[in-house]
Amino acid sequence: MNLYEYEAKKVFQDGGITVPPSVRITRPEELAKVHFGYPLVLKCQVLTGGRGKAGGVKFPKDLEEGKKIAADLLKLEIKGSKTESLLAEPMLKIRQEVYMAVTLDRERGCPIYIASAEGGIEIESSDSVVTMPIPHPFHPYVARNLAGKLGFKGAEFVKIADVAARLYMLFEKYDLDLAEINPLIITEGGEVLAGDGKITVNDDALGRQKAFAGQLEKHLVDLPERERRAKLAGLNLVELEGNIGILCNGAGLTMATMDMVKKFGGRPGNFLDAGGGSDQAKTLEALELVHDNPDCDVILLNILGGITACDEVAGALVEFMKRHPERSMVVRLRGNNQDIAEKMLAESGLKLHPDLDEAVQEAVKIAEAKSKTPVSA
Amino acid sequence: MILIDKNTKIVVQGATGKMGSTHTKRMLDYGSKIVAGVTPGKGGTKIHGVPVFDSVKEAVDETGATCSVIFVPPYFSLDAGYEALDAGIELIVLITEGVPPLDTAKLVAAVKAKGARLVGPNCPGVITPGESLVGILPGNIFKPGPVGMISRSGTLTYEIALALSEAGHGQSTCVGVGGDPVKGMGYQELLTLFENDKSTEVIVLIGEIGGTAEEEAAEFVKKNVSKPVVGFIAGITAPPGKRMGHAGAIISGGKGTADSKIAAFKENGMRVALTPSEVAQMVAEARGQVAKA
Repeated sequence: MNLYEYEAKKVFQDGGITVPPSVRITRPEELAKVHFGYPLVLKCQVLTGGRGKAGGVKFPKDLEEGKKIAADLLKLEIKGSKTESLLAEPMLKIRQEVYMAVTLDRERGCPIYIASAEGGIEIESSDSVVTMPIPHPFHPYVARNLAGKLGFKGAEFVKIADVAARLYMLFEKYDLDLAEINPLIITEGGEVLAGDGKITVNDDALGRQKAFAGQLEKHLVDLPERERRAKLAGLNLVELEGNIGILCNGAGLTMATMDMVKKFGGRPGNFLDAGGGSDQAKTLEALELVHDNPDCDVILLNILGGITACDEVAGALVEFMKRHPERSMVVRLRGNNQDIAEKMLAESGLKLHPDLDEAVQEAVKIAEAKSKTPVSA
Repeated sequence: MILIDKNTKIVVQGATGKMGSTHTKRMLDYGSKIVAGVTPGKGGTKIHGVPVFDSVKEAVDETGATCSVIFVPPYFSLDAGYEALDAGIELIVLITEGVPPLDTAKLVAAVKAKGARLVGPNCPGVITPGESLVGILPGNIFKPGPVGMISRSGTLTYEIALALSEAGHGQSTCVGVGGDPVKGMGYQELLTLFENDKSTEVIVLIGEIGGTAEEEAAEFVKKNVSKPVVGFIAGITAPPGKRMGHAGAIISGGKGTADSKIAAFKENGMRVALTPSEVAQMVAEARGQVAKA
């Protein structure tokens, strides 16, 4: 779950990392509440990066101009992400901008610092990046080593190391996938504060992170409607551009089935992994999600029942075909209780394709025929 | 065969829960040597005829178990893993899905420090066909034979094992390493075990998008593996920036694409299959047989 900048800054503040004073507004008139002087920095609160380049950050010189700009910014959508609110902050006198992040290094299997003494830019394009694995259990000397590797001395060394230590402690406390400060600002007066921040909370940890309880739905606002529906139902859906709806169990099998559709000349319309052990109700919801894609010409269902029982899937299929008898389906179902499933489906007239290659080719053939058929007036 | 055989003594952590109980029964039916279950508070009872203990320590002291398979809920997995390690368990198979990755990272560090082995989390487990099953793989799909399998996926492993078994290529051992970004045993460790295993003739490596483990494994194969390796990558059609079901299956910052992994396989002399049935054909080629139609 990605947090908005203002939420990330609250987390930083809780962890003892200094942030600039700020006022969050959802209406232009609320700018009157600003208690620090102009010019301001006015920033769109969106769940995507590249905000500055997209015109989502402005610098009004007085309240009157601020209100006008705020009205425009509140309507702004950046790369499909809606502006939730605006954050107003004072302009700071900046001496240096630093990049600092903690994330998990999947190949090393441990958390890692990524930092650069030249922050405020796209970090991927910088060659001054320093990385440092963080051993468990954490001790603050690792943060001091990072500050040293970045080239800081004296009072700045101490302050930067302090922020790094606090950032890691937040990363562990809140089960974060990413805790990023960019830029970490060193002002002309020598103050060190988080100018902007990005926090991603690990989705699997949401159940034990009480601070974020009940907040998932609000943070899924930018997802396409069906992907959001799927996520809230505990299913994994990714929309694609083709016309063959795909429903499988298990992420690897779903991807492999998509790839086979492409190999045999078809276009996958979605990725839908119903997961292991899905019962009839969940499988039915999965079928409805695939069915609701207006571009879908045929549904290819490929279930290999290990934990999932084939008769549960067959039950969902029978009900689904009652609701949508017009829907073209290609069904491949193998594994536990396959014989019971076959009997159930024989009664509803659905043919089973035991061979995977053949099933995929059949779906591609149907999709091709349908996309060539002109829509009747 | 690697990791487990018919003599491996197994303890099931979380044996009396719904999933633990179901799969304890299935593992017993397969012939796995399940010697103990562990559920705190249920010590002294039995599950499917297997004695249940309050702690892994007691279970190990009483039965001499060396392998533990864990079915406890995600937020209890780290504790269960530490407990197994402390009791002297040598091989931990963590089936649970949804373990927060920081917990996994801590467990991985402890496993390394102790010199033990961890498979998973978020994995189907390990099977040595005809000998022992540790996990949730459907045993009837697998047949004994000379193919060693390593996979990041569950059902895709079953699909490919089915294609192999039907084409007459049984398996020495299949290891599902799990779909999480941070995990226990990886490709290189398992490739080494299969390379040194007399019963394995061909190795099948089933990867997917996300991370760079496949690219690193391909280089490792070229330098260190003399046996033929057939590679398969799921996710050629996956769009960037989207998590494809598995926590670890995501193309981010241009890294982790199927194209990059397939190219690395080819550059390092591995065979690359694009469908499960092609895996069976390539295994046949590698074994010097003509592929069945």
